Amino acid sequence: MNVRFLNPFLEAANEVLKAETRLSVTKGKIELEKSALTTEDITVLISIVGSVQGVAFYGLSYKTALDLVSRMMGQEFTEFDNLARSGIAEMGNVITGRASIILSENGLDSNISPPTVIEGHGAKVSIVDFSRVVVPLETEAGTITVHLALRESSSHQMDENFVQLVPDAIKD
Amino acid sequence: MNVKFLNPFIEAAYETLLADAKTKIRRGELTLKNEPFVTNDVTVILSMIGKVEGLVFYSMDERTALSLASSMLGDELSEFNELAQSGIAEMGNVITGMASGKIADAGYESNISPPALLLGKGSRISTMDFARIIVPLDCELGRISIHLAIREGHHVGVASSNFIVPGKPV
Repeated sequence: MNVRFLNPFLEAANEVLKAETRLSVTKGKIELEKSALTTEDITVLISIVGSVQGVAFYGLSYKTALDLVSRMMGQEFTEFDNLARSGIAEMGNVITGRASIILSENGLDSNISPPTVIEGHGAKVSIVDFSRVVVPLETEAGTITVHLALRESSSHQMDENFVQLVPDAIKD
Repeated sequence: MNVKFLNPFIEAAYETLLADAKTKIRRGELTLKNEPFVTNDVTVILSMIGKVEGLVFYSMDERTALSLASSMLGDELSEFNELAQSGIAEMGNVITGMASGKIADAGYESNISPPALLLGKGSRISTMDFARIIVPLDCELGRISIHLAIREGHHVGVASSNFIVPGKPV
């Protein structure tokens, strides 16, 4: 896992949370883990394929999730219902999407999958032979833990609609 | 969810399990569900991204996972250790990869993500606005359920660097 994958996610999380919830984010201690991830109350899972491939997870407690969606939608949530679930999934989607755009500006193109929400404390999730960078993001609403199990793809194949850009041809 | 995405998975599962685990599968009754999926002991999660997009789960109990891993590795495993886990994740990867190849032959190209393995019964996985088709596959080693929450993709899988850039105005 390359550290240049990390900053785009931190930048994206910062921007998105500031815009959607007006919360500022403080980065906690970064760790590298090889063992399986133990889920929190809620885990949003989004896969990334392309020049960068792997999985991004966002783990948070029910309390934090409810606080975040209440701020995002400007109404009080007391229960993690379908609307709240879709709000949290969307948050993961927007952060990952924004991060993938920043990665692409740095020459690493990727596509992201639709979000999946796993609920249930204490299950184990392992991305076989990927190590994970774990970054807690502290906010006033609680902690969102970002787990990145990413690597540069060794055999990135271009799809058939790939069009090679020829800079000289454009100049004329 | 289009049924043309279903058969490639059943074919791929049949071929993979016959070749790797030397076991023949029979398809059970299909069901369609909208509510979150409550996990069994072992779940392999993969995403598909491209002209077909969504999620695929392979769900089974630990005993089945252990028998399958033992059969694939040709070695009697007594606990669901890392080797067995990587075997089961790989099985999901191979089936999905083969299915995505067959779906691409039908004109829907996609990329698949690396497999994630979820261990722990009773977690709830929600695929938001994607309905799931559940295909139970029975074999002598036990039952594997394939959950397909996939649909035709909204984007065509062109990465942003591949967009055609118009030339400068003269």
